[in-house]
Amino acid sequence: MKKSLLLLCLCFFYTTLVVAQSPVRVSIKGMVQDTNAAVLSGATVMLLQPKDSSLVNFARANDKGAFEFRNVKNANYLLKISYVGFLPYQQPIKPSTTEQLDLGIIKIKPIAKELIEVVVRTAKAPLTIKGDTIEYNAASFKVPPGSSVEDLLRRLPGIEVDADGNIKAQGKDVKKVLVDGKTFFGDDPKAATKNLGAETISKVQVFNGKSDQANITGVDDGKKEKTINLELKEQYKKGSFGKITVAAGTESRGALRGNYNRFNKKEQFSVLGYVNNINETGVNWSDYGEFKGNNSFNQNDNGDFGFGSNGRYYFSDGGGLLNNFDGRGFTNNFGSGVNYNYTHQKTKLSTSYFYNQTKLNLTQYETRKTFLQNSSFTTTDTTSSVNFRGNHSIAARFEQMLDSSNTLITKLNVRFSNSTNNNLQNQRYLVDDTSLRNAISLNNGTGLDAYNVSGTAIFRHKFKKKNKNFAASATYTTSSSDGFENINSLTKFFNASNVNDQIKAIAQLNQNTNKTQLLKGGLFLLNPVSKKVYWESFYNFSSDQQTVGRDAFNALSAENKRYDSLSTYYTNTILYNRIGSSVRYSHSGVNVSVGLAALRYNLDGKVYPQKDKPLSATIDKQYDALTPNLSTSIEFKNNAYVGLNYNLNVEAPSITDLQPVLNNSNPFYITTGNQNLLPAKSHEVSVDFYKFDPATFMNFSVWVNYNYYLSQIVYNQIVDANLVTRTRPENIAGGRSINGGLYSSFPIIKTKLTVNLNGQINASKNPTYINGVENETDNQRYTMNLGFNLSPSDKFLMSLSGGLGFNNIDYSIDQRQNQKIRTSSVDASIKWNFAPKTFFETNLDYNTYQNDRFNFNQDIPILNCSVRRLLMKDNKLELRLAAFDVFNKRQTITQQGYQNYVSNQKALTLARYVMLSLTYNVKGHEGKLKKNGGWF
Amino acid sequence: MKKGLILFLLLGSLTSLAQENEGVVYFTRTTYWTKMLSQLTFLSKQEKERMSYMFAGKDDWKVYTLLYFNENQSKYINSEEKNEESEGYDWRKEEYIVSRNFAKNTMTDVIEMIGKTYIIEDSLQTPNWKILNDLKEVAGHICMKAMIEDPVKNQKITAWFAQDLPSSAGPERLWGLPGMILEIDINDGTVIVQASKIEFKKLGQELDLPKKLKGKKLTETAYQEMIDKFIKEKIKEEVNPYWMLRY
Repeated sequence: MKKSLLLLCLCFFYTTLVVAQSPVRVSIKGMVQDTNAAVLSGATVMLLQPKDSSLVNFARANDKGAFEFRNVKNANYLLKISYVGFLPYQQPIKPSTTEQLDLGIIKIKPIAKELIEVVVRTAKAPLTIKGDTIEYNAASFKVPPGSSVEDLLRRLPGIEVDADGNIKAQGKDVKKVLVDGKTFFGDDPKAATKNLGAETISKVQVFNGKSDQANITGVDDGKKEKTINLELKEQYKKGSFGKITVAAGTESRGALRGNYNRFNKKEQFSVLGYVNNINETGVNWSDYGEFKGNNSFNQNDNGDFGFGSNGRYYFSDGGGLLNNFDGRGFTNNFGSGVNYNYTHQKTKLSTSYFYNQTKLNLTQYETRKTFLQNSSFTTTDTTSSVNFRGNHSIAARFEQMLDSSNTLITKLNVRFSNSTNNNLQNQRYLVDDTSLRNAISLNNGTGLDAYNVSGTAIFRHKFKKKNKNFAASATYTTSSSDGFENINSLTKFFNASNVNDQIKAIAQLNQNTNKTQLLKGGLFLLNPVSKKVYWESFYNFSSDQQTVGRDAFNALSAENKRYDSLSTYYTNTILYNRIGSSVRYSHSGVNVSVGLAALRYNLDGKVYPQKDKPLSATIDKQYDALTPNLSTSIEFKNNAYVGLNYNLNVEAPSITDLQPVLNNSNPFYITTGNQNLLPAKSHEVSVDFYKFDPATFMNFSVWVNYNYYLSQIVYNQIVDANLVTRTRPENIAGGRSINGGLYSSFPIIKTKLTVNLNGQINASKNPTYINGVENETDNQRYTMNLGFNLSPSDKFLMSLSGGLGFNNIDYSIDQRQNQKIRTSSVDASIKWNFAPKTFFETNLDYNTYQNDRFNFNQDIPILNCSVRRLLMKDNKLELRLAAFDVFNKRQTITQQGYQNYVSNQKALTLARYVMLSLTYNVKGHEGKLKKNGGWF
Repeated sequence: MKKGLILFLLLGSLTSLAQENEGVVYFTRTTYWTKMLSQLTFLSKQEKERMSYMFAGKDDWKVYTLLYFNENQSKYINSEEKNEESEGYDWRKEEYIVSRNFAKNTMTDVIEMIGKTYIIEDSLQTPNWKILNDLKEVAGHICMKAMIEDPVKNQKITAWFAQDLPSSAGPERLWGLPGMILEIDINDGTVIVQASKIEFKKLGQELDLPKKLKGKKLTETAYQEMIDKFIKEKIKEEVNPYWMLRY
């Protein structure tokens, strides 16, 4: 039809190779026809290099079917002709002896029409043609599970199988069936087709026997014995990985942990277990991810629609499996579980069971100074407690794509837990820092059995209109707990005038029964108004019903008399309804959304003196609010981003704050709830900016977040002459906070030295009433940190950083008590691959804590060192000797100031020990140092 | 009946071949990022297996692209169409224009990468395609398989070109086959660019380049050298280069 479109590259071919008597350049021409001599105009004609099928030149046949390559190098070629509906034709061409090479009429054969229609068009399967060999992709032809290869062959166009199992391909008998090119159990073709399962086959190739050579060259050698070759699936993508660590150390320290995962395309199975007394109360994120597999995080799992929720992405909270040790005390830990995930086509099922337990032995010392108007008192506290907690968790998630536009997700979580706590506490109350006023010893024991069952269903529908979506969700949660509290205390009042008032003893037994039923649901509709404007509407509903029963008994009297004043039975129902809408502009990196929601809380409380007794009080409150929302994110050219968000937060009071129950487990700190509490309400504005330069890897970010409370829940205090504090949550306006930060990192020497620096400011003003006088606590905290990462070679990595922290707390109630808390830290670490497969790692953390007003000044240097060596083929085994806290200095110090107090707490924890560990990793350990800590 | 239909289809594609030589191809470009990351040489076997263990099956990311073509020219750009999973949110797309003039044998590409915009102007250098014998249908056209290698990005690319669309155009930076390229598969399914629809129509300004081109000018060789250096540097730093560079 057309002349050759592109005659490229030929001019680049200069050659001195000359075949005897042959011209250097030739013209090659010919005519393309089908087997009935009809002209095939427009056929694609290609000249290929015979050795690797490289394209040298191409042309199209004109309306008479003629083609010509002019002035091409005279060499060996493979001429290839393709035309829709015809078998690709190939013919080798030898160097010509004349300047004109006429190939004459070339007849090309049509492909069986069924093949084109069924295989290529309907099944969308690539049909591979090599000479006369036709290859079918077995996965494109659906057969019921358990079918044999014979059933599969029946479905393939061009193949017939009769009742006895005899096979014909393109009308000819198939004499031979090979499996992966080899004869399968003798020469009977039916042995393979009747005995092999269809699911084991990836490809079916039909070709003419003994033409293996033809297969490769594509040149038919003329033999016509039909052969079928069954290519077995390269087994499902499957594998396994896992590791096990055994460790033993001085100070009777030991640890055993392991995980193992097996998976294939459809299924994932994993087991995980640990037992230790080195304060690992759970696993880390990467072990958690390996355990949960493709169920670690799920899209579309959030059923709380609308702004202020977390969007449609749902990140698991770790399900209680993660290490959450806070640095205080000594723990004995055990956990183990299994997880199974099944994913196939439109179905995804995940189930897991996990049991974990932690026993915590805690000894801590605290000094706290509390300020009143014109006076203050100091409390010293020595606590030793033993806490045990055990949890059984069962989780299941089932996701089913009902069809291309509807998806249903259902989830079930069940948790049983039991816990006990024994708390021995000695507190001394001093006035003027020196004179002892009161002393109290507490011995409290609690026990609790609880369960929680939660079920969720989320339905999502996609409309035909692109990005028009609807979703509905429902969740039901029921939980129950049964517990007791044994409260024993002995209090000495040193300045009591009356002997009877000098010592006071409490022995009390509380029995608590709590029940919760939560039902919540939501609706969501996203409607595109135009390509750039979207309209979102949502509705949220929840009904949270609490039943709380507490019976307090006097454990000193023989008949266990009930304390009516300390006992209660009540029900509380919080109904929440929110309806809202937002309009969003989204185009080319600019996403701006403006919305408004109306919400209503209904608080309905019923108080009884005791279960099954007549009602003593009711509370019925309604609270309405309109909450606007603005959220903006703009992406500029060259990797700069700006975000601006505003939200009016409205948060219902917590149930404990609403409980109108006196809690006297510490007779010097008595709390009561407040059933009149209103929701907390605050304006929140946040701005952030981020810039990244991919060429230098310089990045810079800065953010500010401001909160202003229209209504804040604070704990007002009344402190009496005996230094007994009574607190009660109340609403107050005027609290505010600002948090800002800055982070930057940039390379000084590319790939070798980077610097990072960051700074943060947190400032807040919080009002509370102390003995009826308003106190405003002004808390300002500044931290800054500067660090260097140095990697002079692949075998040596080093980092060094230093930080300073300033915390100034001003109390309007008594300016003389203003506090200045200082901390500083220096961290240095070295990783050195000093010999093949041998590594030395060390880090030093040097922290100082200082508060001049307390005369407190403490340095804590912690040095850890380890040497490890990889052994065996693929580095499967790792032997490691590690010394933790070489100077034996570790303890956990917490300094904080809040409301009207400042405290200083020291907790004992695991200090120096030496540990030898052995880890076997199925996949082998990394044989070199990692530069980016697992991020890439 | 069936045979009649096939004949109709075949004739249909023939007439289109005879009449139309101008229009736009709509492509969907899907990136499977666990496959991309598992090619990073600095990751351990366990890290690679963990990645596919956690994310396989939900690691795809779709964007849409357009290829305008006529007899002598082609221009390939990002489409403004939004992803189905995006809920309408839109991110900024990097500048990406690949323009080819087959008659003049020239190319002008505007590519934003590594934080800068580059203009690659050069003559067209014939790619070294290998032609294979497999057939498959893409967007209603029977296509033949061809392969090429990109030694700089270390990619094996499979292309499927239509036998009945006589154009040398193709998606991404690929061109030079006897028919229009309707699908490419980079490194065994890491990135798949597949045509969903072909619209034959008279084009207006679509093939023209923006009047003002801002960016640093490079030749093709200089461009390849630059990305080669960048990839090697990032691999040494153990960072995935393709966060900042089109795969």
